[in-house]
Order: sequence, then structure tokens, then C-alpha cells
Amino acid sequence: MVDQDVKYLKFKTYLNTYCPYCHQSFNIERKNDKQVFFKAKFKDQEIDLSLSPYLDVFESKTSIELAEGEKVDDLICPYCNKSLVNKEIKCAECGSDVGQIIISAASKLIPFFICLKNGCEWHGLTKADERKIKLKIPRQEMPEQDQTLRVHNHQEVPYGYTTELASLEAGRCLQCKSPKCVEGCPVNVDIPEFIKLMREDNFDGAAKKIKERNVLPAICGRVCPQESQCEAKCVLGYKDKPVAIGRLERFVADFERKMELVKVPVIKTRRNKRIAVIGSGPGGLTVAADMAMLGYSVTVFEALHELGGVLTYGIPEFRLPKSIVQFEINYLKEIGVRFELNHVIGNIITIQELLEHFDAVYIGVGAGLPAFMGIEGENLGYVFSSNEYLTRMNLMKAYRFPEYDTPMPRGNKVVVIGGGNVAMDSARTAIRTGSSEVTIIYRRSRQELPARMEEVHHAEEEGIKFRLLTNPMRYIGTDYNTVKGVECIRMELGEPDESGRRRPIPIEGSEFIIECDLAVVAIGTGPNPVIFQSTPELKRNKWGYIEVNPETNETSIPFVYAGGDIVTGSATVILAMGAGRIAANAMHKKLSKLN
Amino acid sequence: MNEFKSVDEILDFAIEAEQDAVEFYTKLADTATNPQMKAVFEEFAQEEMAHKARLLRIKETGLLESSREVVMDMKVADYIAHVHISPDMTYADALVVAMKKEKAAFKLYISLSERTPDPSIKSLFLSLAQEESKHKLRFELEYDEYVLREN
Repeated sequence: MVDQDVKYLKFKTYLNTYCPYCHQSFNIERKNDKQVFFKAKFKDQEIDLSLSPYLDVFESKTSIELAEGEKVDDLICPYCNKSLVNKEIKCAECGSDVGQIIISAASKLIPFFICLKNGCEWHGLTKADERKIKLKIPRQEMPEQDQTLRVHNHQEVPYGYTTELASLEAGRCLQCKSPKCVEGCPVNVDIPEFIKLMREDNFDGAAKKIKERNVLPAICGRVCPQESQCEAKCVLGYKDKPVAIGRLERFVADFERKMELVKVPVIKTRRNKRIAVIGSGPGGLTVAADMAMLGYSVTVFEALHELGGVLTYGIPEFRLPKSIVQFEINYLKEIGVRFELNHVIGNIITIQELLEHFDAVYIGVGAGLPAFMGIEGENLGYVFSSNEYLTRMNLMKAYRFPEYDTPMPRGNKVVVIGGGNVAMDSARTAIRTGSSEVTIIYRRSRQELPARMEEVHHAEEEGIKFRLLTNPMRYIGTDYNTVKGVECIRMELGEPDESGRRRPIPIEGSEFIIECDLAVVAIGTGPNPVIFQSTPELKRNKWGYIEVNPETNETSIPFVYAGGDIVTGSATVILAMGAGRIAANAMHKKLSKLN
Repeated sequence: MNEFKSVDEILDFAIEAEQDAVEFYTKLADTATNPQMKAVFEEFAQEEMAHKARLLRIKETGLLESSREVVMDMKVADYIAHVHISPDMTYADALVVAMKKEKAAFKLYISLSERTPDPSIKSLFLSLAQEESKHKLRFELEYDEYVLREN
């Protein structure tokens, strides 16, 4: 075991030690004093040996006094008399032999090594050994709500790590000299550094370290696709599962919040410049935070009656509790960001008008226009876009009807079309409304599902059915023009084309009908046209998204910046934040030159 | 349907059809309100011009490679309802219009091939149909790649 884990053992929990062969416990309690008891060989004599509970000093000897720095030759289990010495591994500090035992911590059994030299405090290993051992600590799973219970409520599914689990997981990090994980992060959080602080039990410091680069860690720890970003680059991942960076991030952010350690920083410089941010989603919030910290006066305009953008109307409560979004936004309010609700920019104020009052504008309005397939019957009743469905359920809190005014759209048999995270969110929301059957229809195969594997896994656990390689052809309506079924066709994957992708092709004559009384279409979104109607000069690409200079995120209109889904098309929270960061830096650079 | 007497006559008909498509897209480009969509329609018109040039070359040289490879049909064009042609249509709509046009041309050549008893003319129609389905596939792939994109 390694040094940092010893610290964790010292301060955190009472430790149980076991023989790796006979599994007898070495722990004994003597006069209220906890000790760990072994036999040892010293100069061909067998002696009794006990260690301090921290396993560092050979405390009491029955026959021979061991001086500091003296070595025992062998460490023996007093119950099965087997030698505990592991010949392959040496102490990294003094090079002595080490004895191997098992400790139990946080309900996991992990190997632990004791240096045979008295007083050698560093119970560490050489780098190579450390690697070997670390690969043996499994990636820690997060405790979560039982699957049969959670389908009846809207509370968050994972509970997050306990302190013990977080420390154990942090112990797996190899602390690489040139860390790859940082490159994988769109906002370049200093991941090894924050994990190092965690190992020193400085969770507060770790949280502050993340916040240097990421203003919304509690949110990113929950919704970032880490498996394709930082964790995909983790060196540990080549041989074993990568360090659960996202879960650690979530843990420290939650720790900071729950322990009320969040401090509002004092902003030293004040600049006489005003910034308007359109949209209070993740990108807009990042720009607002960065610019406010630099001393600019920032106003955020939000079209809806609640802040947070997609974090509030899109991502469901069970995946991202709204209280956390609220908390993060309150932090921005405390550093001086102003928020204007119910302001649809483009309709009530144009961008040109904003530029008369503000020195720079950031457009972070997202891609909120739902896409439909354009097939027959999409206008039937109870065929929802995922945007509408999730907005009703999350933002308008329909699941708490009649406490809230919006009635809950509820179906007994629900189909969700699409295979992305939004489709998973919609399906998992639907099953929580008490639907007896929820089916996801996706036209490609399992490998191509764009949703996070974790979400697919959660959905399957909750009993959601997957109809893969299936495509809807038309909706069938009742006499009252509500949906009663979807006619689908089975697909097969064709030969790879020039791009190497295998396209789904329908199988002739394989049509069949899935009964449903509610359908949610989650096949992507497009740019909302409102802002462009009043600003036709804003240059856009053929897809209708805003064209920006990729280095500065500045649009064709000077001092107007844009980023997130309105530039890239549907993407993730963290990419929107990354875009916001680029824009904020460029804005600051350009505005500072004006003075 | 008028009878076709010779291979040249058929090719002339096909060339004329491509020219019609060029004009159709040029007109859409003229009316489009969004400059990016203007560019898209101009690009489509260019593509149709390339198709026309290809047919002209076949007519001049008399060469027609009659490969019998089956062109993949993703049938996207089949299940999407008609879109309304308007000056402010989106790129996705434009793709639907284009693939439906190619599909219609494909169907036309297939039905013509079924009517003719002459095997050489039949194979010419089939080759033209295959050409059209290749064009359609190009639009379907684009649609598949970018429009049907979940998140």
C-alpha cells in the first residue's frame, strides 16, 4: 500500500488487518489499546511482535528489544505460521523486504505492506510495484438507489462516494508526470493535482483547485461524458478501469457544498465595461463567471422564468438535482452577476440594441429547436418532442402535479425514438410516471448508441426495453387523433462506406407495429431561429448554426461572441463550457486593448 | 408516355430531365432568403450539371458502363413526408426535396425499363436508374449523418 493510504488509515477509520492465507485477524485489544500482533524471526530467534495501530513502529517486544532501524528477518502469521514476506516487492524507501497482509477498509479488502525495518515510516512501494498494486484496487462503484425503488421517485439515482470510497479511489491515481487526463478535459482541470489534494485529505483544497478551471464541478461531475474525455486518456485505463475522475469531482464539489466551505472570492479589480450574456445555460454561466471574476459587470438574459438553461429544463432531477444548479447559480449571483429572467433576446431586445448598452455580447442560446423525422402521423396527440416532454416534466415540474399547474403527460405504453442521452432521460422520466412499458427505438445497433454507457445501463436496470436496428415509419392514430401505435421497420447495417461507417438499411417486408399511447421523439435539435430573425447579418453555416472564429469564438459581428450548441449543434455541457471559456478569454483580451 | 425510338432519344430525354433539375435548383437559389441556403442550392445545381455532363459524354462516346452493382438504398426518401418548398426552407428540408427528386427519377427509369421489350434499351434505362439511385444515396448519407443526430 502506499503512503497516502496510510494517512487515510491513520485519520479515518479503525483498521482491520488479516492474514492473506488463513484470514485470521491480527488485531488485538489490550488495555483499551489497539495493537496488531505478529510473530517474527530475528537473528534466528522467534519473537512476538506487535505494531502500533498505524502499522509503522514495532511497539512492544516480549523477548528482544529492537532498536530503531533494525530489521526483522521474517514476519510470520501467529495462527497459520506462514511467512508473510513478499519476495517480489521491496520497500521503496529503504529497500528492505516487506510483509504482505490484507486490510479491510470501506468494506473492501486491499493488500497492505509492512516494511521489516523498525521505524521505517514510509510504507510505500517502488513506482513499478505501486503500479502493480494499484491495478489491484478495483475502481470503486458509487452507491446508488435500488433499481426497483428508484423507478417510483424522481430523486437522484447515485448517492455519490462516501469519504472512504473517495479516498480509496483517489489512491488509485498514478500521479503521472505528464498527465494525459488533463488534455482530455475541455476546460483542462488540473486532475492529478486535485486528486493529490484529496489524498492529503484536503477535500476543500481539491474543490478549490477544480474551481480554478471549472465553475460548475458539481454539475460536470454528474453529467460530463468522462468515459470519452479525461477517463478515456487515463493511463490506468490501458490495463484496468481508469480512475473515476468524474465521481471524485462530484465528491469534492458535494463535500465543499455540504460542509459550507464555499467562499465568495473578493474581486479586486473593477472594470468599467459591461458584458451581456444571452442564455443562462452552462456556456453562458461560464462566460458570466469568468468575466465577473475579471471585474467586468455582467448581465445574463434568460428567456425562461428559471435559470440554468438545459441544466434546468432538459436534464432530469434524478440525474442532476435542481437544487445543485440553483446553488451554483447563487454563487454567481454572489460574485456580482446580474440575471434578467423572461427576456427573449431577438424579440424584446435585439443584439444591436444590446451592443448600444454593453461592450460585448455572448450568445449561448443552445440548440433548442426540436427535430422531427417528418413521417406520417407526427402531428397526432401524445406525440411529443423530447424538448417539450422534458420541459413539462423538469422545468414545469409536471411530475408534482397538482402541486404545480402543468399536468403530467403520462402514457401506459411509451415509446421513445432516438438513442442519445436525451432519449435515455425521456425514457427514464417516463418510467417514473408509472408507465407499464417504456421502449426505446433506435435505428442503429448497440455499439452506435450515442448515449453514455452509464445511462444505457441505468435505463436497462430500470426495465426500459431497447428495440435496436428499428426505425419508425409512421404513427398510427385513434379515432380521436391520439397516437395508438408506431409502425416500424427492422434495419440491418450495410457494408461500410467511404467514411467507414455502416449505414442502417431497412429490411424489406419486416414492418411491425409497436403499440403505444405516448411517443417522445428525441432525434436531435436544431438552432432556434428567434435570434436570427432580428439579426440577419449574423453569419451562419448551412445548418443554420452561427459561424465563429474558432480561436476567439467571435462571430461575424464585432464584439459579439457565440459558443455551445448554437455553434456546434447538439453537444455536451462541458463543451459548451469550454467554448464559453475561449470566448471569455478572447473578450477580455480585446476589451483590455481598448483602454 | 411517348415511345422512345432510339438510344439517343432516351439520352436526350434524360439530359433534358437533368437540365430541368438544374433550373429547379437555380430558381430555389434565387428565392432563398438565407445566403447559406442560396449556396446550398447552387451546389445542388452544380451537381445536376455534372450529371448532365456525364450523360452528354455518354451520348457522344456511346460508352455506357453497365455495371450491375446494387446501390444501397437507405429508404430515407420513402418514409419522409413531402416538405413544403419555401424561400426560407432549412438545409434538412432541402435534402429531403433533393432525395425525393432523385427517387422520382429513379422510379421513372425503372418503369420505362419495364415497358420496353428491347433488351439494349432496357439496360440503358436500368443504368440511368442506377445513376439516379447513386445521386439519391449521396443525399441520404448526408441526411443520415447530420440531420438524424441524437444527443
